[in-house]
Order: sequence, then structure tokens, then C-alpha cells
Amino acid sequence: MKFIRSVTDVFGKSPFKKLHEHAELAGKAAKLLKEAVMAYTIEDFEKVNTLCKKIEELEYQADLVKGEIREHIPKSLMLPVDRHDLLSFLKPQDSISDACEHAAQILTFRKISNLPDVIKKDMECLVNNIIDAIDVYEGLVDQISELLLTSFSKKEVQESLEIVPRIENLEHQCDLIEKRLYKEIFNCDRIDPVDVLLLVSLIKEMGEIANNTARAADRFRIMILGK
Amino acid sequence: MLLVVFIATVVIGLYMAWNIGANDAANSMATSYGSGALSLKQIIIIAGILEFAGATLFGSRVTNTIAKGIVPINLMDPSMVSIGALSAILAAGIWITIATYYHLPVSTTHSAVGAMVGFGLAAASKGLILLGDIQWAVMEKIVLSWIVSPLFGAMMSIVIFTMIRLTLIERVEDPIKLEKIFGFLQIGTASYVAFAHGSNDVANATGPIAAALGYLGQSTPMWVLMLGGLGIAVGIATWGYKVIETVGKKITELTPTRGFSAEFSAATTVIVASYLGMPISTTHTLVGSVIGVGLAGGLAAVNLNIIKRIIASWVLTVPIAAGLSIVIYNFLVVVL
Repeated sequence: MKFIRSVTDVFGKSPFKKLHEHAELAGKAAKLLKEAVMAYTIEDFEKVNTLCKKIEELEYQADLVKGEIREHIPKSLMLPVDRHDLLSFLKPQDSISDACEHAAQILTFRKISNLPDVIKKDMECLVNNIIDAIDVYEGLVDQISELLLTSFSKKEVQESLEIVPRIENLEHQCDLIEKRLYKEIFNCDRIDPVDVLLLVSLIKEMGEIANNTARAADRFRIMILGK
Repeated sequence: MLLVVFIATVVIGLYMAWNIGANDAANSMATSYGSGALSLKQIIIIAGILEFAGATLFGSRVTNTIAKGIVPINLMDPSMVSIGALSAILAAGIWITIATYYHLPVSTTHSAVGAMVGFGLAAASKGLILLGDIQWAVMEKIVLSWIVSPLFGAMMSIVIFTMIRLTLIERVEDPIKLEKIFGFLQIGTASYVAFAHGSNDVANATGPIAAALGYLGQSTPMWVLMLGGLGIAVGIATWGYKVIETVGKKITELTPTRGFSAEFSAATTVIVASYLGMPISTTHTLVGSVIGVGLAGGLAAVNLNIIKRIIASWVLTVPIAAGLSIVIYNFLVVVL
């Protein structure tokens, strides 16, 4: 296609599709982390290692997508949202997969056998809550295409805004479970102190997944309201 | 000899018209293809018929401006005018071919006007006319219209898209259905764009032919305009469809509500310019209108760098086309 003279360059590369893809990668990483936690509780450490590698791969992909987004939004690109708002939304979204990776790596550092059932149960509960929060979060990011189509109509913005408190609530639930878990871990005499150290760092990183999801949702809200 | 010069002018004029159809008309029509409002076949038929109609029915004023609005051909010997017209169309054609090859967003209008100015300057340097005989006041108006037309297109599309947004997009239950309805309305705006484009841009091909005819009266002969319109239609059918496909695929973001706003604004601006006899760039006006939709919050990403490229391209085009025209004129005067 040589002989062509056109002005299509006026249409810049939209970063929103990539933002969506980036959120999906975080969601995938979180789902794999759930599998890894479950495998850890049944002491299938082989599987934990395999899943950790997959999560590391997803995190790397998310970093690449993040880089691509940043690279393609120069100041000369006119977006329907504030450029800074978009970038400060991208950051916590990226931290979701980072935290998933850290949590998965911690699981590979040390094998713990005979975890008390109550701790197993609450770990499962925590990871399920995280997945719930991420699922709702993905639904929020899905709204981007509708928001763009309606050029951020009040109705669509309102619909999106209603999702954010749900994520914040789920994050709060995670906090409560974490608190409970900490108490159980620190007060269980039959766990090895080194195991305690590992479990505490694990729960902290899992908490970070929920925190960053809520933070990203909050930033998303700022971004669509900033318009 | 004069007949040979005239035939050459017509042939190159036809090439110019073909080029206008293949690239400029295609670019304007691609907005309807990108939004999925029309199929490629429908676009080619609509564009072919309405470009021809616009050129034939409404193309005489701009043709008039390019033919004798800038260079006072009635003060010159007809043979000199023929040579000048041939130089101008040849210069514009060469520059457009080069620009197209290197994918530069150059306007055929700016090339044609620049080339006619070059012919005027060459004639003045030979003492055929005085430098002051060139209609600089008209030239000023034309240049002003090049600045005003994209701005006008932008302002209009801001207003139209904002109105659509506030009264329709904000209120309807199903925004996707609304887009479908606007897809139908886009058949109308696509036709409007084609008609407007034909009425203005045909002059870039027919202006020099009309000048070469040494015609001095008030209206351009109909057959000249028909020839130009035919050239454009053939350009769309033989090459433009490829351009429409390529460009259309890249602009899927321009949904029917956005496409409608941009097309309506651009076409209206161009029609007003045609009525005033101002040769403006349809594509640049369309770019202005698209940016307007973006400013009204209708697009996901608008690359504002294009503004710099467009300004650079027309600042370059006028002197280059003029320079080429002067060189060719001097060459032809010696040879013929």
C-alpha cells in the first residue's frame, strides 16, 4: 500500500484497551494465587512451585503492558480523561499483580506441614475474599468501553461509581480476616516460630493485593470523575 | 502547438482529478467505512455519484477562483496563459505524487493554489504582468480560509457532538442502538461530504484547465467540470477503495455519532467555502472536525501532533508548488 496520502494520524492509539488487558492479567494472577494457596494447605509443594512460575510470568507480562501504556500516552495525545489520573490509576493496578507475585514467592520459600485447620480455613477464606474483590474490580474496569461509548454519560458514571464501595467493603472484609489470622498465628503454640514469620509475611502480601485493588478502584473513580 | 499544450493540460488535469478521487475523496469517505455505517461498495457508489454531482453543479466558483482569481489571465497573451496553466497543473501534479509516495498529509488545494501563484510570479518575472497585478488580496483571503476552515469545522463539531451527547447519549436507554440509528444518518452525511468535497476540490484539477481555455467570461464550461468530476469518480473506483479500506480500518473509534458530527461539520464548512469560491482543504477541515469531537470528549485518543504536521505540510507545499511551477514555466517557454 504505497500510494496513499492520509490523515489517519489524528486518531491516536487508545490506551484503554491495554488498560483493560492489564487488569485482566492482575485478575488471572490472583486466581492462580488462590490455587497456589490451596495447594500449599494440602502440602502439594510441587504444584505451588509451578503456579508461582506462572504468576511470575503474568506479572512480567503486566509490566510489559504497563510500559506500553506509558510509552503511548505523550502529552500531545488528547484523552477524555486526565493523563495524570490515568497514570495514577495504572500504578495501583500494576501493584495487584506485583503483590500476587510476592505472595506466591513466599509460598515457595519454606514448606510448612500440619498447619492448624483453623488457620487453613481462614487462609482459604481470605483468598476467596480477595478473588471476590478482584472479580468486582474487573467488572468495574469492564465499564471503560461503555463509558467511552457514552462519552462518560452521567448514568454510566453513576453505575461505575456504585461498584467502588462494594470493592471497598470487600477490602474491609479482608482486613478483618487478616486480623483474625494474625491473632490465630501468634497464639498458636504448636507452630514453629520461623513458620510464623513466613505466614505473617504471606498474609501481609495477600492483604496488599486487596489494598491495591481498592486503591485502584478509588483511582478509577477519581479518573472518571475528573473528566 | 497551442492545441498540444491544451491537451497536455487536460490530461494532467485528469490525472490530478484521479489523484483527488483516489486519496482525498477516499480519506473523507473512510469515516463512514470506519464506523461500519456503509459497506465499501455503497461508499464507492455514493462517492462516485455525489462527487460528480458536487463538481458539476457546484464546482464553478472555486474553479473560477483558481483559474483567474489569483493570476489576471485576461491581461496576458492566450498562448502564455496556456503554457502557464500547463506549468501549474504539472507542478501541482508532481508535488502531489511525491507527497503521496512519502505519505505526507499534503493538500491538493494548497498545491494547486501554490502552483498558480508560481505561474503568476513567473509571468511577472518575464514582464508579462506586473507583480502588483497578481491578486494578492484574493490570495490573502485564501490563506485566511485555510486557517479558518479547520477551526470552523472544529467549533461546529464541538457544538453538534455536545448537543447529541446532552440530548441523546445521556438520555437513551441503549447507547448501542443509538449508534445504529446514527449509522443510517451517516448515509446522509457521507453523501453530503462527497458532494461538498466534489464541489471544492474539483477546482484543483479544473482550475488550470479553465485557465488554459483562456476563458474570460463568468462561468466555466460545464464539460470541464464534468471531466473533473468524472476523474474523481474514476479515482475512487480504481484506487480510492483501497485507501478507504486501509484508512477505515484504522479509525474504527469514530462511532456513528462521532462520525456524523465530524462529517456534518466538515461538509458544511466546505460547502460554505465552495459558495464563497474559496479553495480549501477538505481533509484538513475534516481533521479539524475530528479534533472538535475529541475536544467535546467523544474520542478515546486524539493525536494533536497532527496539527503540527499539517501546518508544516502547507507551509512547505505553497513554496514548493510555486517553485516547481516557475521552473517548469521557464523551461516550457524556452522549449516551445
